[in-house]
Amino acid sequence: MLNQKMTRIAALESRPRIVQNRAFVSTVAVLLFLILWETAPRMHWIDGTYTSEPSRVVMASLEIVRGGDLLRDVSLSLWEFTWGIVLAVLVGVPIGLLLGTFQTLRHLLDPPVMALYATPQLALLPIFVVWLGIGVGSKVAVVFAGAVIPIIVNSIAGVREVDRSLVLAARSFCAKQRDVFMKVIFPASLPAVTIGIRLGISRGVLGVIVAEMYVSQSGVGNEIMKYGSAFRVDYLLFYVMLVSVFGFTATTAVRAIEERLRK
Amino acid sequence: MEARVLRSSTVDQPVTKSHLPHIRIEDVTIAYEKPRDAGIFVAVSGVNLEVDRGTFVTIVGPSGCGKSSLLLAIAGLIAPASGQVIVDNHAVSGPGRDRAMVFQDFALLPWRTVLENVRFGLELHRWSGENLDERARRYVNLVGLSGFEHYRPHQLSGGMRQRVGIARALAVDPEILLLDEPFGALDAQAREVMGNELLKIWEQNKKTALFVTHSIDEAIFLGDRVVVMSKGPGRILETIAIDLPRPRTIEMLDGEAYVDYRRRIRIHLTGGLQSERAIVAPHG
Repeated sequence: MLNQKMTRIAALESRPRIVQNRAFVSTVAVLLFLILWETAPRMHWIDGTYTSEPSRVVMASLEIVRGGDLLRDVSLSLWEFTWGIVLAVLVGVPIGLLLGTFQTLRHLLDPPVMALYATPQLALLPIFVVWLGIGVGSKVAVVFAGAVIPIIVNSIAGVREVDRSLVLAARSFCAKQRDVFMKVIFPASLPAVTIGIRLGISRGVLGVIVAEMYVSQSGVGNEIMKYGSAFRVDYLLFYVMLVSVFGFTATTAVRAIEERLRK
Repeated sequence: MEARVLRSSTVDQPVTKSHLPHIRIEDVTIAYEKPRDAGIFVAVSGVNLEVDRGTFVTIVGPSGCGKSSLLLAIAGLIAPASGQVIVDNHAVSGPGRDRAMVFQDFALLPWRTVLENVRFGLELHRWSGENLDERARRYVNLVGLSGFEHYRPHQLSGGMRQRVGIARALAVDPEILLLDEPFGALDAQAREVMGNELLKIWEQNKKTALFVTHSIDEAIFLGDRVVVMSKGPGRILETIAIDLPRPRTIEMLDGEAYVDYRRRIRIHLTGGLQSERAIVAPHG
């Protein structure tokens, strides 16, 4: 144990040059890009109206943060997103596990699930608006519709790919059907389930932002659309960055939970 | 030709009423449906076998001779197409607490630690009256894995993994240990070490053991009796009593008696192979 740790440390110590180099190169690349982005419009190489500049994005960020609407927009989008994802997990995981376990059920529901998998969830937005109005409901529905399908599909795959010999081993120890599920099938399919949730999250982020662009008076998506049509690229970029940071954080968090669970 | 002569000597002793074997396999045939309705594959055909309490019986045969199927039938994990398996005078209808199995591919839960894997069988048996972790730890120690309790299967060598598999089976205190090519996935050296270790553990309490292998040496080294099976469909060719003293040692592998046993078994197995070839390409 200790020995392993020591060799690992030794290996790290022999590598710092490469590690430093890599970090150095990436930093330089980012800095160069920012400098180019800042100077190009100033030198009239390109039209700043279309690209904005890093300094103006920073200024816009400060203004938005000070403005006070940010919290309202972010919490609205987050609210819609969270509801959609939570419902998708609560509905998708049990359905997926059931479909994975029972072949007949799978044959019954496979065509509609696959059809929905191939349908962009945003194509359903107009019908959600008809059903649920332009408020929170239709956005939750879009997030849900986008997220639930990959969660179901991956949960099915998770169950189907469970090592049959583990099930056999459990049965050899007189496991009841419920034990087989709780102690073997469910934990064995967790990695696939979390992959489904991760895919669901990215489809959910997409869903909530685009839905807000088209049918909303507020929310992050609405802001992006608003500043886009006003040619305020600096404001727009702040919100876009916000979304990508959020998406990244959420999927990283799920991955961290997954690592926890597998340990 | 020779194989046929020997086959006549394989008929088991007639069963006397007073003699009650631990396991009795009565005219068992095991068949599988081939995929896509391609008919039925007969894995084992009309096998009779008796195993006495406290004996170590090995089953050796070429792959595909149905020896694993036979073991699964005793475990109650598959049902024979005809005939029956009788354990302790009761017909087997499913898995039971009196039997525990060790698998060729270990079948350990990858997300559980060594200790938790050994606990697995105890949990499923609803073991009570003793702290599960303490009992699991005892069996982890028994198979020589103390210090590795919190390792996960992927961090262990094949031999160590199968030690976990053996500990898991022994921890539920079965009366019959069923081992399905347990060392088949190990390299030759690890095989030898594990065979030795298994015997040491077995000699402590002499549970009835059925051990399936395709290694002739392993079969002789471990067994009180070696059951030799033929392929397609699986039948018993001969049951050979191994008259070697216990504890068995590696040195016995070179002894005259050992070499005789090996020759006797090999004639069966290669003899079967030759007749197969004769069908494919009759030499003229």
